[in-house]
Amino acid sequence: MLSRNYKEKTIEWTLFSVSVLTVVVLFLICLFLFRDGLLVFRDTSLMDFLTGKFWYPTSVNRQFGLLPLFFGSLIVTAGAIIFAVPLGIAAAIYISEIADPRIADFLKPFIEILAGIPSVVFGFFGLVVLVPIIQNNFNLPTGQTALTGSIMLGIMALPTIITISEDAISSVPSTLEQGSLALGATKWQTIYKVIVPAALSGISAAVMLGIGRAIGETMTLMMVTGNTAVIPSFPGGFLASVRTMTATIALEMGEVPQGSTHFHALFAVGSVLFIITFLINLIADSIKKRYQFKVD
Amino acid sequence: MTEGIQNVSKPQIKVENLNLWYGEKQALKNVSMNIPKNSITALIGPSGCGKSTFIRCLNRMNDLINNCKIEGKVTIESDNIYGPDVDVVDLRKSVGMVFQKPNPFPMSIYDNVAYGPRIHGANRKDLDGIVEQALHSAAIWDEVSDRLKSPALSLSGGQQQRLCIARTLAVKPKIILFDEPTSALDPISTLRIEDLTMNLKKDYTIVIVTHNMQQAARISDYTGFFLMGELIEFGQTKQIFQNPREKSTEDYITGRFG
Repeated sequence: MLSRNYKEKTIEWTLFSVSVLTVVVLFLICLFLFRDGLLVFRDTSLMDFLTGKFWYPTSVNRQFGLLPLFFGSLIVTAGAIIFAVPLGIAAAIYISEIADPRIADFLKPFIEILAGIPSVVFGFFGLVVLVPIIQNNFNLPTGQTALTGSIMLGIMALPTIITISEDAISSVPSTLEQGSLALGATKWQTIYKVIVPAALSGISAAVMLGIGRAIGETMTLMMVTGNTAVIPSFPGGFLASVRTMTATIALEMGEVPQGSTHFHALFAVGSVLFIITFLINLIADSIKKRYQFKVD
Repeated sequence: MTEGIQNVSKPQIKVENLNLWYGEKQALKNVSMNIPKNSITALIGPSGCGKSTFIRCLNRMNDLINNCKIEGKVTIESDNIYGPDVDVVDLRKSVGMVFQKPNPFPMSIYDNVAYGPRIHGANRKDLDGIVEQALHSAAIWDEVSDRLKSPALSLSGGQQQRLCIARTLAVKPKIILFDEPTSALDPISTLRIEDLTMNLKKDYTIVIVTHNMQQAARISDYTGFFLMGELIEFGQTKQIFQNPREKSTEDYITGRFG
């Protein structure tokens, strides 16, 4: 009896410590990220970092301005969202409401496979296929542009947006659909006036998570955006090379002396990225919670 | 079911030899029924007897179910609703339906009622009048007139169901189908819905499916008794309840099964 109790307790504690481990790991990541990030401010002021227009980490007159990288990430992500959100929602509506169940069952695995492709493969595809197309169509000196990154990133965010929107749309009770049809609404009127509005908070959560996915992407963007740390103009900036925050860290981290200002500046960029994705996930989560409440 | 036909002089809905299959399973067997104008017809019977399936044939809601096969003829005001050139949208406009569980849309009270008129192209300036009139007819205006913009889901279950009735009335149907409209409601709300249906019958033809035999006896003019997909007996409510012709009708009404 006693030994059985003891065994139960051991299992319980083991599982508990494993779960706690994830929290500890997250905490440690935060700790080291912010600790090393904050050290940059020994040499640069916070204002210079956040509002600096130039990222010249290795020149004699070195400057660590976040803005070119921040706007690089912003323009690529915004482009991806403009591209992926309408497509993703349309696909989700088709799969959950319009498609024959057999066609839906056929399509879904492909979307999941799309989510499983490594980002370096996406990058390779972008570099070999999309970059020349963009270069030739727009007559550019290089096809490695923000637009190229946006399209690739959009494709990569599609599975997230489609799967979560589809969940949200499918969980709208069928009684609402029947109620609308019984009033003489057509299938399409029912979809855009009742079903999609009822699923809107779930769809917004899908979009937020898609943004979260996009903003943290590194490898693909490094391969297709050209990596020029200049503040992009708008909207012409879509056809120029940009450099994102993620690509900057990946490109430069291997070459900086540990403990240098440049080293700490990269950590500071990482901290900003962390805060942005954390906020986005928080927003997505709170939208999702509200929507679950609504469906019940 | 010759009794059914002879009882009714001027049918608004005429059902002839209706058969329905869900895949292999036959859910309705050779049902014929004449439903007169401006009356309440109650359909009773134990669970799974086909009464809900039957009522859903009258506005073609069974179209939504995969591998559901229908044979026979349903005529509403001389139109065969299963004919090749029938527009289901027009049919459902003139044959409204209220469901078992109140299903207001997650929008404001006003928008719920205005939904039907809007999709059917009602003039924007007529909308307020249509909504107010529908809410009056559904006996819920006094309770909601001061909060038309609040969400419909904030209403109580009984109010939601009356809102759903108002929503149906706003489309100005000729026939209203009620599929167990009070089974999710408390007795007081049930009573209000029953009163409401009796008021509505002067303007509409009403067909109501109910599990509650007292309800059928209280409000209906005609009653049909279904068993295992067959219409066993159809006639005036008084006759069905006081002097049923079939043994199984009597057994069901007296509570021996079901």
